[in-house]
Amino acid sequence: GVLPHLERLEARAHALALRQEAAEQRQERLARLQGRAQELRLRRDELRAKLELQQKRLLGNEGVATSGDPDAAQPSDRAILEWKMRNVQDLLQLFYLTGLSGKRTKHGVCFCISTAYEGTYLDSFYLDLVTKPQVQIRRHSVPVFIPLEELARKHLQTDIKRFLSVLSDHLNAYVGRRYQADQLQERFSGHLEGTLQRNSLCNALVFKYNTSGQNEAFPFSARLLYGDPCRSLPTEAVVSCTSGAPAPLAEATAAHAAAFRRLPLHRALEALSSPRRRPD
Amino acid sequence: MEDNIYQVYEDEIRSLEEEIQMLAEKYEDRQQESMFYSDEEILMSIKSFQREFQGESKERESPSDLKAQLESLETDLSFLMKFTGIWFTRHSKKTVEKTGSRTIQKHRLAGNCHSLPFQLEFQLLEIKNKESVSAVITNLNIIMESGEYSGVSKFVSSIEEHGNLLPFFRSLSSYAEWCEHRRCTFLHFK
Repeated sequence: GVLPHLERLEARAHALALRQEAAEQRQERLARLQGRAQELRLRRDELRAKLELQQKRLLGNEGVATSGDPDAAQPSDRAILEWKMRNVQDLLQLFYLTGLSGKRTKHGVCFCISTAYEGTYLDSFYLDLVTKPQVQIRRHSVPVFIPLEELARKHLQTDIKRFLSVLSDHLNAYVGRRYQADQLQERFSGHLEGTLQRNSLCNALVFKYNTSGQNEAFPFSARLLYGDPCRSLPTEAVVSCTSGAPAPLAEATAAHAAAFRRLPLHRALEALSSPRRRPD
Repeated sequence: MEDNIYQVYEDEIRSLEEEIQMLAEKYEDRQQESMFYSDEEILMSIKSFQREFQGESKERESPSDLKAQLESLETDLSFLMKFTGIWFTRHSKKTVEKTGSRTIQKHRLAGNCHSLPFQLEFQLLEIKNKESVSAVITNLNIIMESGEYSGVSKFVSSIEEHGNLLPFFRSLSSYAEWCEHRRCTFLHFK
């Protein structure tokens, strides 16, 4: 009959319309993407050209341009101020590298003690101080095993710089010891039996190790004590060898102990494991 | 099949966006590092910027905002220099390498710690990871007068060997304060 025929036609027209719509959407999407890519390509090329001009300009003036340079586009006042701000921010960041930075606050001062071990910067610790009526610690991020209260009692009221200096010694030494233990664990895991045993202050370490680096036997046993909380080398190193180990190993324990007392942990093991020196 | 062509464009767009950001940062860094404005020029800019503002739209930061920010930063810097006794008199930095999360900058720094002058240069490698930025000092070179203390050059060599910039400043600070104390003590007895 006519009706089903009409229905079929209607259905076909509908399907066609949907397909056309979908095709149009795909076209639009493609056009958008092409447009955006084109825009970005232009922008990228502009920037490349700008950088080339800048390079030529800078090389022409031996790399330093002053505001009197006739070739440089005269920067706006805003740009000059933003330059100065970045400049001052850079200097403030440099203080971080010196180990002590901070700023005044409503109620006093907030100091930041940064720590480093041989050029690698590690944790920073905050001390929020009130200055009136007396200097007191309001808040801090110093770990509990650092004797903060004791140091504060001794120095905070009388000589704040000395307080910060001694606290910095404690913190730098602690972080330095921890870093050495981490480095040993990370870089010499083949030389160590399991994980290094340590306390929170990282001033007592116990580990079993070998110098071969092959994960088989661990004939040596080391116990290191760091008696001075402000130092990152041990004051006491005891190395023993498993009974029944060959004589050269047993004889090497004294040299091992000396190495641990003299060198950072990871460097000591590195030296002891170098092919030249290994007794095994 | 069609999805492929979208992916190709989207990949290109992403890579272009990254390249644009890197190029823009490189340009800004070089601008910053090659310019120098004296304090007088800065003051003049502040004044003329405030005059210009009369006609400018309210959307961007007003000059008084910028001026206030600058003053706040300078107050912070001045406090630190007074407290620590470390005065930086000259500083320049140059971005030597900047790729993805790694940046290497060469720094030249000169100043005084109390009355002890120092001059040094170093490279700073910064690596950005998800939570933090790690910083490592390399190629540290220190120039210091030996003065009366002969152990200074040995001290300096050991510092340079291990990139011990932080202990250098802290030792410098202690030593300079000790010198000050000594000087004051001698003056007291004169």
